Amino acid sequence: MKQLSAGVCLLVALALAAATAMSDAIFPYKVTTAVLPNGLKVIMIPMDSPGLVAYYSVVRTGSRDEVEPGRSGYAHFFEHMMFRGTKKYPGPVYDSIVTSIGASANAYTSDDITAFHLNFAAEDLPKVIEIESDRFQNLSYDLPAFQTESGAIYGEYRKGVTNPFEMLDERIRDIAFDVHTYKHTTIGFERDIKAMPEGFDYSMGFFKKFYRPENVVLLIVGDIKPDAVLKLVKKYYGPWEKGYQPPDVKQEPPQTAARSGEVSYPGKTLPILDMGYKGNAFDPADRDFVAAGVFGELAFGSTSELYKKLYIKEQRVDALQASIPFQRDMPLFEIVARIKKADDVAPVREEIEKTIAQFQSTPVDAGRLAGVKKRSRYEFLMALDTPDRVAGHLAQIVAITGGIEAIDAYYTTLANITPDDVMHAANRFFVPARCTTVILKGVAQ
Amino acid sequence: MRTMYRISAVVAAAFCLMTLGEASVKTDNNIVLLPVKNDPTISFRIWFKAGSQNDPAGKEGLAAITASMLTDASTLKHSYEQILDLLYPLAASYDASVSTEMTVVFGRVHKDNLGDYYPLFLDAISSPAFTQEDLDRIKSQTLSYLENTLRYSSDEELGKAVLYNDIFAGTPYGHITEGLVSSVKSITLDDVRAFYRTYYTRDNLVIGLGGGYTASLLTRLKGDLAALPAGKARAIPPPKPAPLKGFRATIVQKDAPATAISMGVPIDILRGTKDWYALAIANSWLGEHRNSSSHLYQVIREERGLNYGDYSYIENFPGGGRRSVPPQNVCRRQQIFEIWIRPVPAEAGHFSMRAALREYKHLVEKGLTKEEFSLTKSFLRKYVLNYAPTTMARLGYALDDRFYGIAGSHLAKFRSMMGTLTLADVNGAIRRHLHYGDMSIAIVAKDAKALRDEIVEDLPSPITYRTKKPEAVLAEDREIAVFPVRIEPENISVVPVTEEFK
Repeated sequence: MKQLSAGVCLLVALALAAATAMSDAIFPYKVTTAVLPNGLKVIMIPMDSPGLVAYYSVVRTGSRDEVEPGRSGYAHFFEHMMFRGTKKYPGPVYDSIVTSIGASANAYTSDDITAFHLNFAAEDLPKVIEIESDRFQNLSYDLPAFQTESGAIYGEYRKGVTNPFEMLDERIRDIAFDVHTYKHTTIGFERDIKAMPEGFDYSMGFFKKFYRPENVVLLIVGDIKPDAVLKLVKKYYGPWEKGYQPPDVKQEPPQTAARSGEVSYPGKTLPILDMGYKGNAFDPADRDFVAAGVFGELAFGSTSELYKKLYIKEQRVDALQASIPFQRDMPLFEIVARIKKADDVAPVREEIEKTIAQFQSTPVDAGRLAGVKKRSRYEFLMALDTPDRVAGHLAQIVAITGGIEAIDAYYTTLANITPDDVMHAANRFFVPARCTTVILKGVAQ
Repeated sequence: MRTMYRISAVVAAAFCLMTLGEASVKTDNNIVLLPVKNDPTISFRIWFKAGSQNDPAGKEGLAAITASMLTDASTLKHSYEQILDLLYPLAASYDASVSTEMTVVFGRVHKDNLGDYYPLFLDAISSPAFTQEDLDRIKSQTLSYLENTLRYSSDEELGKAVLYNDIFAGTPYGHITEGLVSSVKSITLDDVRAFYRTYYTRDNLVIGLGGGYTASLLTRLKGDLAALPAGKARAIPPPKPAPLKGFRATIVQKDAPATAISMGVPIDILRGTKDWYALAIANSWLGEHRNSSSHLYQVIREERGLNYGDYSYIENFPGGGRRSVPPQNVCRRQQIFEIWIRPVPAEAGHFSMRAALREYKHLVEKGLTKEEFSLTKSFLRKYVLNYAPTTMARLGYALDDRFYGIAGSHLAKFRSMMGTLTLADVNGAIRRHLHYGDMSIAIVAKDAKALRDEIVEDLPSPITYRTKKPEAVLAEDREIAVFPVRIEPENISVVPVTEEFK
């Protein structure tokens, strides 16, 4: 099956649903959780991974938290700045320590999360705790370093901007959201990226407000002994002062009428149709939310009637997918198709709408629903095989809920989803008034 | 080294790493086994000794399309739609990886679902239906990739493809696996059938099996694949790329928002030899992939903020933008040394090219210092653990070991070599295998003609910054801006993007 390329977070939700199963105690590893007096939560998961550890620092801040006009992209920018070091361990020293222990170290940012992760040998855990705790408490950089890094950010923007999905994502968010910060992408508007070199003072405030223990969760997975780890975490993170200031993220009012837009891609591409419906924030107890993910798979996934018709039989699209993401606030539930002929965009859209209407009036086949549940269980069983994959799967849930309890809750709900639930979700979310449709077309045809 | 979007296939530490150095890989004539008792899954990698080097002239892309006609298409027993339905609840799939010299059909399944999965996997290999409907769909997908995605959506991938095509022009390596627009259009079902008959034979395969499999599964798999027709494919000699004499460049003209640069030169060394591991240390220091320890990264990104990253390679590394560690099963008998400069602002294109070549020249002429050597050796000794975190990845490496004729494990050898190699070994390997002065350069740029003229005349390429830079950086900039990189007019061409991969 061909998947659309990255850029639009397609099927992120169901990829995470990969990490699910059908009973209420699906997570297979013993979890030890502790909260320090300063609010820092530590989730420790020992697993059979001889000599290896994955260490994730999950900051519960992402581009969602960029509430000030002109400051889109700062969560991601700040992720970069975290590698610029402290007085004790300046950037090059930090880098050389990470290099000397042969760690695989990286970080990423999206709407709701900034995550810093390292994979390394268990013997190096004390050193990692020391250097990670140091940069989270004592980050220090000067204006030239800040301004130089803004150039790397622009470079990152440039490498991605030729991807049509990036352009499409930027446009549909901008049209669909009026007040919520999901209006902008994580990399940010280009005009804001251009202005970043002048944002030094703002960046320092960003650190002070958001990089605080109550807003950070440590996920430590692998060949560890929780008691010993906790002792070290207390020693090094204990002095970190509280001070998190939640941003005033304005919730998006209900959308009352369909919206639409177009994008002209400067290169050559097949046209792409993106239909984004105002969905729901992640809520593992909400049957509609969980059923919406099932709907996306059954209506537009690789076993759907529409996929078989448009992709395999008639070959009018070369990709078709739905994305029902897990997010902290209300995201778009998207249906995306890449269409072979420009004339076919409107008819394909009609086919999608017809499929939605059918799911709104007809309960899904019980056997197919059981297939989704079975798949989820086995994806889960197969996916959590390395410390990094375990921590990576959990990080988003940790960012949006503050813990991992929601995983079992989600899969308990999933196990009980009925055909009527799927129909109900289709009727609740996938209605014209909630929809923003954007069509991207290439100009160099 | 920072990525913005979550990558689903993040690679990391893993179980089984303790066994990295053990002789857990069992090999037979055409079988590579990697039993992992506690693994609840089974990994398959069936390697057919064919790749894009085996594409007939005028049918470039045939190896890749044939493989897709096995793994993304109908079989004699099931339509493609039925296959998707049957695989879905198993949370399992199979796919094919096609590179220059290797085709590997691979898949992984939980042992609970093996009974339902295995017949589908086997049918894909032994009973493809080869329908016109499937061929039309797969060709259309390939053409869209060549005409749209590769030409327009990622300038860095475009630059790398142009570089490899230039260096290996006129050899069986001289086209990308997807082929050319005209050749893909010409591929028929008869072509696919002929390729399949020639290369998908019982005498042309190696079975890779790993994880929690049983002896009976192995017996069954061996028996089932032995039922494939006989036939030894004709061996193709390793390619002999025309020697580079001085610098030459291809500038791809397109409406690019930034300038992407790749450069490379053939090298005469393959993994497994002592010198390769020594050279791996030098290369890691110069440009470890997606890592801030890369010296090029430090010079171009960290100190100057010109782009997102800068790396170097001594082995083919396809898909570098979407993976953090090397891929498996992309082995080649002829490798190049390669430098990858991610897109820089257009006004810094010439400068960045010079900066990278200047650092390379410095490495070739001076070698590593003791400190650089020690730090990089220490880094690699543990970092290579991240290369194969899963059974599937380790099985891939085991097949690669077979390809290169490495007794034991390349990764185990890699680690042990980090304990024994000396600075003299590394600097000796640099002298023996790298040299400065010959290089093919591929550039994707908006104003290609002007850039060509600047390069031909070797004009100074000073850059200015919007922000303040330390005097040491500015002083070095003045040297970089006039660093001589002479390319004769006849060795530099401007090619419109629409002319590539035609």
